[in-house]
Amino acid sequence: MSRLFEFRFIILAPAIFFILLIGLYPFVNLLITSFQNITMFADDTSYSGFIHYERLFQDGRFWGAVMRTLLFTLVALPIQIALGLGMAFLFLNKMPFKQVLIAIILLPTVISPIVAGSTWRLMFDNRFGPINQILGWITGTDVELLWTVNLDLVWPAILVADVWQWTPFMFLLLLTALSGVDEEQLEAASIDGASKFRIFRLIILPAIMPVMAVAILIRGLDLVRLFDIVWTMTQGGPGTHTETISVYAYQVAFREFDVSYSAAFALIIIVVLTILVLGFLRLVEVER
Amino acid sequence: MKLSRRTLLAGAATIGLVSSASMALAQSAADIAVEAAKQFAGTELTVFYEAGLQPLDPINFSGPLWEELTGIKINIVEAPLDQMFTKIIQETKAATGAYDILNVIPNQMPDLALAGALEPLDDYIERYGYADEIAGIGDVYRNNQMTVEGVTYGLADDGDVLLMYYRKDIFEDPEMQSGFKAEFGYDLAPPADWQQFNDIAGYITKTMGPDVYGAGMHFQPGNFQYLFQERFRVEGGTFFDADTMRATVNSEVGLKVFNDILADIEHMPPGVEQWGFIEMLNAFMDGQTAMTISWPPVGRWTAGYGSDTEALSWLPETTVGGDVGYALPPGGTPELAIGFSLSVSSASENKEAAYLFAQWMNSEEISLQRVQLPFAMRDPFRASHYADPEYRSRWDGADEYLDALQAGSVSGLLDLSLIQTDRYEEALRQAIGRLWAKEDPQTILDDLASQWDDLTDRIGVDDQRRVYADWASKPNAYPN
Repeated sequence: MSRLFEFRFIILAPAIFFILLIGLYPFVNLLITSFQNITMFADDTSYSGFIHYERLFQDGRFWGAVMRTLLFTLVALPIQIALGLGMAFLFLNKMPFKQVLIAIILLPTVISPIVAGSTWRLMFDNRFGPINQILGWITGTDVELLWTVNLDLVWPAILVADVWQWTPFMFLLLLTALSGVDEEQLEAASIDGASKFRIFRLIILPAIMPVMAVAILIRGLDLVRLFDIVWTMTQGGPGTHTETISVYAYQVAFREFDVSYSAAFALIIIVVLTILVLGFLRLVEVER
Repeated sequence: MKLSRRTLLAGAATIGLVSSASMALAQSAADIAVEAAKQFAGTELTVFYEAGLQPLDPINFSGPLWEELTGIKINIVEAPLDQMFTKIIQETKAATGAYDILNVIPNQMPDLALAGALEPLDDYIERYGYADEIAGIGDVYRNNQMTVEGVTYGLADDGDVLLMYYRKDIFEDPEMQSGFKAEFGYDLAPPADWQQFNDIAGYITKTMGPDVYGAGMHFQPGNFQYLFQERFRVEGGTFFDADTMRATVNSEVGLKVFNDILADIEHMPPGVEQWGFIEMLNAFMDGQTAMTISWPPVGRWTAGYGSDTEALSWLPETTVGGDVGYALPPGGTPELAIGFSLSVSSASENKEAAYLFAQWMNSEEISLQRVQLPFAMRDPFRASHYADPEYRSRWDGADEYLDALQAGSVSGLLDLSLIQTDRYEEALRQAIGRLWAKEDPQTILDDLASQWDDLTDRIGVDDQRRVYADWASKPNAYPN
């Protein structure tokens, strides 16, 4: 072993140790727990085989939560990207009070999601909330929509809350990315007669793609573990109609204390997410 | 007669012994607790409480008083009601000794005892002579909210019961009375059954709506599950087949109750399905609803009791003070929804001091003061509370209020209590949410029964059958 290698190892060892301690140890513990049978009443740490994994694959509520989470992610993410991008384009140009307006737009992002969810629950409340009132003014009739009760309205209500809170995050990242696009390239393309769509597709999009990919990744992962807003607005109801993976995981782990089952649950989610993230990174070629 | 010196001394000694013995006998449970607790002066106890108004009692009243008397400081940790079970179990698993005294929801006591979270109290009760004062706790609370399989794990400390509150000015209005009788053929009075409730609510809404609706209740599933449990049993339903332990909640009775509730909602303000406790309270205090069914603080606050207290400044001003009537809900067997018992955490490092604080709080003398704190949420639970002349004169109608509470404490129905009750309740809450979402009632009930059966199978049919049989055998499990 060369001296240089030894020196590097000594320098890196503490960092590696701590990463293993906080990352690998819980993972291994999780793995072991998922093969035991620890519940609220029993600390059965003997090997129980794959019983929790079998149960998981037969658990309709789990798959329902997975489907709802993925669907919500597939709907919310493009909306947030589109709105964020649109707003970023608006703010590319010079305008008065630009910095103040940006700061105001970013406010929802710095609010705790629990507070945002509670606020939106009140906003959608039929008795005290302004949403129905505003809709009533627009339509000229009494609007009595039960946003958090009606099956057709409850997801749109959650979507509005999530888009309100997280679109500014997209906006900020995309504004930063757009500010870095080479102006000379844009001018040259414009002089050459390229349409705005072609300029966007062939110059702007490739230029902002690395930042956009990171933004999509961060928000995508956030959406997959969506909890706070749903919990405060509906607690997963009506029934389990808005129960996401995280909400169900919380129920299983911290209300039912089905510890080993929730460990199997978490492990499957970690594995699936890791595969998805690696696939995504490969797709956008930012892993290098 | 001439007394010898020896006789005189013997007599004096006897008198001395008898008088000191009678002093000891006369010492109240509160005094005994204080005297015994002084040896722990300088320590600190942490009490786990439901977040909100409940802990204002130990923060503002009992905590400072106990510290003054014993030198033991009281700290409070709060959690929302629906997270209390979770927090206690987490603490039990971690065993950090973070809590000394626990507020336990009685129907969760079997689970908590089984999980090893609670300290048995029988030895303490005997050692500190508390049995006599425990006998003064209302029968239904004493017999059902303190023990698990014969072992005492808590001191029943809260007389929760879902009473009916109604607008006397409407019910006693001659025009309303004659109009109602002409239409339905019987007198307008607090409803004796749920059909009458529907008739009365419908009539008031038709006559006075939309300014005043016949009724409004807390329909959020977390609250409404208790009203469902009550109504289902009042209508003749049973939760399980006692032999097979298959759920029978999807019976004809279950379907009738679900359909009847949907029919009742037609006579209530729009959006009532979203109402929680605050919305219900606000509407009733504002005079927008003529009937409601809820926990005892509603009866006090709507009468205006404690309205000048800073802690209650958030309450809307009552417009119905003086007009509030108190009655048992339809069927006459109200739900003893939630309630609290004081327990000692098995992980506490100060178990004896913790027990003594619980005994002191729960004693005749101190509990009488606590249940009259306008800002706290402890409700009368002792015979002496219901009969106390001072409490009965607190406001016009306080005597009727206490009589209704006492009647409810006799006929009240216990919350369903099984192994892992919270999981059964969770399924019920989900079912109620689906009912408000207008899904098919029979499908919802079938799904609920299926979920309950799955839970029972997973927990163990024999174990659950034993626990259910024990619960169902209690006089207040089902209406007599």
